[in-house]
Amino acid sequence: MARTDFSSKVDFVVRIGGEGGEGVISCGELFAQAAARTEYHVFTYITYPAEVRGGYSMIQIRIRDWTIYSMGGSADFVVVFDQRAYDRSIQYLKPGGCVIYDPDRVTTGSVKGGRLFPVPLDRIAEESAGGRRGKNVVALGVLGQLFGIERETLEQLLQDRFAPKGKAVMDINLKALSAGYDAGEAAGLSCPVRLGKSAPEKARYMMMSGNEAIALGALAAGCRFVAGYPITPATPIFETMTRLMPRVGGRAIQMEDEIASVSACIGASFSGVKAMTPTSGPGLQLMGEQLNLASMLELPLVLVNVQRGGPSTGLPTKTEQSDLKFAIYGTAGESPRAILAPSGVEDCFYQTIRAFNIAERYQMPVILLSDQSIGYRKATVQVPDLSNMSTVDASVPCESIVVPYPARIQIANRVEPAPDDLAQYTRFKDTEDGVSPIARPGTKGGQYLATGLEHTETGLPNYSPENHAKMTRKRFKKLRRLSRDLEKNPPEYYGPERAKIGIIGWGSTEGAIREARYMAEEKGIPVRHLHPKVVSPLPDRRIEHFLSELSQVIVVEENYTGQFAHFVKGRFGVRPIEVHKCEGVPITPQEILTAVEKVAAIIDEEEIRRVQE
Amino acid sequence: MKPVWCAGCGNYAVLNAVKRALAGLEIAPHEVITISGIGCSGRLSHYLNTYSLHGTHGRALPTALGAKAARPDLTVLAVGGDGDGLGIGGGHISHAARKNVDLTYIMVDNSIYGLTKGQASPTTPLGHKTKTTPYGVYEDTLSAIPIFLAYDISFIARSGVDIDGLTGIITEAIRHPGMSMVHVVSGCRTFPAFDYKEAAGRFAPLPGDHDPENKLEALELAYSVDPAYIGVFYQVTKPTLGGRLEEEIRRAGAAIDGKQATMEQLLSIFA
Repeated sequence: MARTDFSSKVDFVVRIGGEGGEGVISCGELFAQAAARTEYHVFTYITYPAEVRGGYSMIQIRIRDWTIYSMGGSADFVVVFDQRAYDRSIQYLKPGGCVIYDPDRVTTGSVKGGRLFPVPLDRIAEESAGGRRGKNVVALGVLGQLFGIERETLEQLLQDRFAPKGKAVMDINLKALSAGYDAGEAAGLSCPVRLGKSAPEKARYMMMSGNEAIALGALAAGCRFVAGYPITPATPIFETMTRLMPRVGGRAIQMEDEIASVSACIGASFSGVKAMTPTSGPGLQLMGEQLNLASMLELPLVLVNVQRGGPSTGLPTKTEQSDLKFAIYGTAGESPRAILAPSGVEDCFYQTIRAFNIAERYQMPVILLSDQSIGYRKATVQVPDLSNMSTVDASVPCESIVVPYPARIQIANRVEPAPDDLAQYTRFKDTEDGVSPIARPGTKGGQYLATGLEHTETGLPNYSPENHAKMTRKRFKKLRRLSRDLEKNPPEYYGPERAKIGIIGWGSTEGAIREARYMAEEKGIPVRHLHPKVVSPLPDRRIEHFLSELSQVIVVEENYTGQFAHFVKGRFGVRPIEVHKCEGVPITPQEILTAVEKVAAIIDEEEIRRVQE
Repeated sequence: MKPVWCAGCGNYAVLNAVKRALAGLEIAPHEVITISGIGCSGRLSHYLNTYSLHGTHGRALPTALGAKAARPDLTVLAVGGDGDGLGIGGGHISHAARKNVDLTYIMVDNSIYGLTKGQASPTTPLGHKTKTTPYGVYEDTLSAIPIFLAYDISFIARSGVDIDGLTGIITEAIRHPGMSMVHVVSGCRTFPAFDYKEAAGRFAPLPGDHDPENKLEALELAYSVDPAYIGVFYQVTKPTLGGRLEEEIRRAGAAIDGKQATMEQLLSIFA
């Protein structure tokens, strides 16, 4: 499977760069959308400045005839609007690659093995659309011509995007598009890959960003309340939900800050409605105290953290995996919670559903740790089989609930007390697995007190040593139960069993690690790969088993201090080789491969030494 | 459950008034959510047989707002003190007011942090010596009612801790469709920041000809110290958060208990 997964006939990268506000991203997204309608898979990576105008803006689009796992390395086609974009992109041009540039704004150097195509984007925009603002659509036309996309396809996409802005704007864009096609033809651009209608359409795929997938996953999971506060790069989740939530009869509320947002969600969840708040690292910190409250009140709550570079305001528009420790341990006291990390755009949908299932059934807050790279990435995603979507009855034990995937989605709800139990309702009953049925307000006889003070099984404040010990254990039992249940729904291993090198990753590095593994295999280095989606708690036995068969373990993550490596070290007593990248950009397969090769060399040397001795 | 309050605490009157008001309105306890903050008055949620949440300091109002938005069918009460409501949680009031969330917020103002044993609060009188102001409070005192008027809360009332008067005002507040703020002037027995009996002696009902829709007149009356008026200063009717969110659902082409988009339809947006 691995080799077919790896080798492909069509696999290329288009990179478009320019200044923020020039429409670079929308040009790239429209092109990607057109490509996504063909038989090929599409994967975008976006970097943009934190300011509204100015700064370097770039979108990279990878197009492939098979599932895409990473943004790819160097580019086959580079489109640059200005000198800075040229200077920053040219080093990533593949040998034999093609550069389309505006000769009025860009001075090119020698491009070894590459082809240069001057297209005066500014001038064409001014002549055709009466202003430079249409230049991104001119560039879109050039790309359309290059890849044989029918004009009507792009016209329709422009229509979908710009029609609300009025006919005048639409007409200008159509003229710019047409001029772009003509300019592409005049420049003699051609490419063997065709993205026109002639390509057979692949069935049942759609294109969305990781942030959109999380919003949709929440709605699919039955979330009917969202409260939030704008924060980059999580805002699109909230925007998507404010748009779609009313359509399913739910409530979406913008609050005055993150503390109010998570508070409103706690109120909504207490009232019996599935609730979620999306945020990023700085917001997560503000929510800390209320997160603790949810643990103490044993309330289901889903909190999404689309991580960005930190600390402080840090790099709002760049990616990083640096909130893991805060998510697991942060906040005062010890409060049980589960941490999930989706590995890609499609996985965002399923892990969000899973986050709700865990929150509702184990009655604890769940933090979904996404990051900017998957939040803003758009990719082709398989349409889930909704005919196999079902609600799980309260009698189904947690470990039997399937981990959601395209062919089967199960939705779990909180377990309510049976009518007989209401006569002497004990909200925080210390049951075998720690989970105690939760009454829905409005239910007669189910009234109870939920207090952030330490309390007894019935909910009354109590500070006695015995009670605190018992109730702390009760709350943590649920976490242990979740860990044990994960043994039955374990994270998958990838790669051959004979491998002596293992890689552990979490979250958005999954694709890059997978590609690095394929590349290593090509070079004769077998590698195993473990990528838990539930990063805390972990299924201990399963991880121990994975570790026991290896000579060396590499932990890959995008932060400075090796947060997951610390966690693994502390929990399993291993000494992994840590590969960190803390530059605000995703780690590449090549970077991981380099680490694997170094580790393979060490193992070889040790083997030789052993044989010699 | 025996309350933890000191003998003679105004919170007893608030508790009894809430119970009486709910009984008078024939609202069953299981149809009520009570959310309280931290402080002596935050304990009020413990002694009502409702669905009660005793949360964190200063967050009773946004928590209650979420509960009411998610479950418009239930009666929602928020309770807290002057430190909880005007100190740490003061920033939330204006935004809840903008949404006109249909709940009743009872702010029991004793002008002191009583539970932590006597530190200055936003309403402790200027010059008063407390444990954190050993040489006297040097900050100006917040005037609660004028702030609420400026925020345009749709029902604003003040009461002392006489059970009958308070029951009447809380009853009206719960009945009011929209955000109701009941400012309860209550003395702390153990760490008194002012002499409650003396203050109550200055209480007078609002003038009979006061039009509760006249905000500027209400503002003038609210600044009066002697007499200190009690009653409903301001009451207007405007769309509630529940109504506004229902309108959102309608604008999106759906209905609360009827036509709604299916998951297939939502996914097709991204096809």
